[in-house]
Amino acid sequence: MATGLTTAPSAATATDITQRAADAVALYFAAHLPRLERHAADMARAIGAHAPGTLTASRIDDLIEPHAHGILDHPHEPVYGAGFIAAMDLLADAPSHLAWWQGNDRRKLVFPAQSVKQAIDYRELEWFRVPSTTGAAHVAGPYVDYLCSDEYTMTAAAPVVVDGTFVGVAGLDVLVDTVERRLTPSLRALGRPILLVNGVGRVLVSTDPRFASGDVVRSGRLEVVARQRCAAVDLDVVVAA
Amino acid sequence: MFTPIGDAGRAELVEKRLTDAITGGHLRAGDRLPSEADLARTMGVSPVTVREALLGLRSRGLVVTRRGRHGGSFVSDTADPLVFARDALRASSRLALRDLGAHYGALTMAGVRLAARRAAPPELVAMRARLARLDTDDPGPWRQSMDDLQLELVALSQSARITRDQMRLQAELSPLLRLIDVDPVQRGRQRALFERVLEAVEAGDEPAASEATERMVDETIHALDALHMAQDEI
Repeated sequence: MATGLTTAPSAATATDITQRAADAVALYFAAHLPRLERHAADMARAIGAHAPGTLTASRIDDLIEPHAHGILDHPHEPVYGAGFIAAMDLLADAPSHLAWWQGNDRRKLVFPAQSVKQAIDYRELEWFRVPSTTGAAHVAGPYVDYLCSDEYTMTAAAPVVVDGTFVGVAGLDVLVDTVERRLTPSLRALGRPILLVNGVGRVLVSTDPRFASGDVVRSGRLEVVARQRCAAVDLDVVVAA
Repeated sequence: MFTPIGDAGRAELVEKRLTDAITGGHLRAGDRLPSEADLARTMGVSPVTVREALLGLRSRGLVVTRRGRHGGSFVSDTADPLVFARDALRASSRLALRDLGAHYGALTMAGVRLAARRAAPPELVAMRARLARLDTDDPGPWRQSMDDLQLELVALSQSARITRDQMRLQAELSPLLRLIDVDPVQRGRQRALFERVLEAVEAGDEPAASEATERMVDETIHALDALHMAQDEI
């Protein structure tokens, strides 16, 4: 039993709850981000060993494949997809390229017939754009990833930099389904409905029955009792009245 | 993603998929095809099946194979999406085109409606800026850019299933739309209608977004129907 509390119990409890929720979320992403950044550094070394303008799509695939498998081989957390997405015109024989492996069978992503994916310009997509401009790792989502997984996804991406030049991002996909299953138990245990929202107010995980993953929480519609930013990811924990 | 075909002897299906990629402009003249091994692995067929399919594509002049250091299979320089689109239009019927339009319209309207409900306004601001930057004078990247934006919009519905269906239907319709894209007046019209859709979605106005989408699809199908009838007159 808590004793010696001098602040109003419900307000203090809400703040305490959001902090503990934020810690649980940060812990979850800490299982992914540092690993991803290490692979990004290794990819940079492998790419850097080639003279500029000499790398081909097939060579990059060979270089990246072991790293993709390394990222997918997480000891205790499911990872749906992983690989490297090249900066425009990095490769000698293609203006853009994804070296990506995904699914239970670790299929290599090969651009297919019946879809518009071949031509998608990924430069504007959040998981590519943010690391390319900020130089820092970023977690994007939840969103429907029609380029790689075709599922509702969170994508973590870290910039790959060779001699100060941005050459692409190292990425990993986790299904929102997975994040929801991994985080819901610890969030529910906190005893109050919680929302985990991203930078545009979109709910990633909710234990609040009024909101579901994918809903955008508009600030006007919500009375926020407590809010806490999670460490190392652009996600906020919110307790709503 | 390539969904696995399974079983040996499905060379015709592999051939069809690659043909669709080429006629749809997704694999362009001069593009290198994925390696036989990659195609086999991804489609879940044997390399022999892939080789059979490539033989078929070569005999139809869609693919050329080069040996040696920079060898591989490449989309033929003469592969022209417009030629294929005209053939596809001729092979189809007015009824089939209108039914495709009905299906596509229904799905796109549902996706856009959900997007109006679930999109965050900043997501639309970026899209509207890209639409504004689209050069209506250049038909080349036009279809790709419009398809991109349309898919991105439906993805804002937050529904993976609806987005997957949208991709499939877009792939069916998009090659035919190239025949309309050649007309700059049509491109300008499409841009104006799509701009209305984006505005409505940004405002969170579901009925307006739905109506604007229906208008856009109806005009597109009407234009294809007119083209089809004009073909019969030749």
